[in-house]
Amino acid sequence: MAAMKKLTLPKSVLDMKFMKKTKERIENSKDHDNLYSGVITNDMKQASGNYIAESSFIYCTDLLEGRLSFKGMNPEIERLMEQEKPKGKEGDMQKDVSDEVLAKTMEKFNKRKRPFSPSKYNYIKKRK
Amino acid sequence: MKVKIGDVVLPGDYCDEITADGVKSKVVLGPGLRKEVDHVYIMKAGVLRKRNPNTFWVDSYQKRYVPSRSENVIGIVVQKAGDLYRVDIGGSCTAALSYLSFEGATKKNRPEVQIGDVIYAKMLVASKDMEPELVCVDSHGKKGRLGVLNDGFVFKCSLNLIRKILNPICPLLESLKNEWPFELAAGMNGRIWIKANTMRETIAVGYAILGAEYLSDDEIKTMCTNIASILAGHVS
Repeated sequence: MAAMKKLTLPKSVLDMKFMKKTKERIENSKDHDNLYSGVITNDMKQASGNYIAESSFIYCTDLLEGRLSFKGMNPEIERLMEQEKPKGKEGDMQKDVSDEVLAKTMEKFNKRKRPFSPSKYNYIKKRK
Repeated sequence: MKVKIGDVVLPGDYCDEITADGVKSKVVLGPGLRKEVDHVYIMKAGVLRKRNPNTFWVDSYQKRYVPSRSENVIGIVVQKAGDLYRVDIGGSCTAALSYLSFEGATKKNRPEVQIGDVIYAKMLVASKDMEPELVCVDSHGKKGRLGVLNDGFVFKCSLNLIRKILNPICPLLESLKNEWPFELAAGMNGRIWIKANTMRETIAVGYAILGAEYLSDDEIKTMCTNIASILAGHVS
């Protein structure tokens, strides 16, 4: 109820000349709620409960788009198919180097780099 | 009779698993299911299926199309009536398609659609008691994949077959797509439009699709290889 009151405009503002239309609208919406309050009961609102009836199969199963073209028969459709496709495979498509190759190269790279990088031996030298 | 998920079900059967889920969370009841006061009843003969989370439906054999919202269908224009085209979609009555619901169409600039044209359209309104309404544009006013289908060949099949070939795990289109160029539009109303470069290729696509109805995945692959080799002239 507190939240509801926050949204409504103060009466003094609504009485102003230029707010005439808004005032009418607010009063109408109140009437609308009252009009059906006797007809629509809570039982009616909750009758369907947790059940959503769906008359179409397309929401039950994942289906492809029904318009397809292959091997350049209709370039327009194939362009649309390409645009929608990469979403799932994006991770693999954008990789030029596979994970394994990258891991091996990085391993070699690290081995080569180690003598020059600051290590515990360098640290000891400095102390001496 | 009480049934479980995956059973063959008949109208009048009921499933308590759905009711149990319905107590805890939202449940989507697809085609063939109906909530009554005490149980969720089956309305069609078929196989009861479930997809997580909480979507249930009956996979039934059906040839009669019942229009439902936002499905893509193939229709044939049968009449021009003022601002509307009447389109036969195989349902109980014809669907209405406004001439303004094409990409770039205005009152002055009418789309070129003749009686007898085949169109691929989306169902906009499909209510039980009213004439269904089609559109050939998406919500951005772009035609996308919808519109008039020129040339090609239309044939009818069961509604199951449409769902089968459009299922991403079905190997049919995967096997055919690298063999020869062709184009295809599958309407959820059990009509398929195909187009290829030659008549031989068109017939081959149509034959492969219709042949796939009662075959398993492996058999479909074999059939596609056979068709492709016959078409390529290796086997006569």
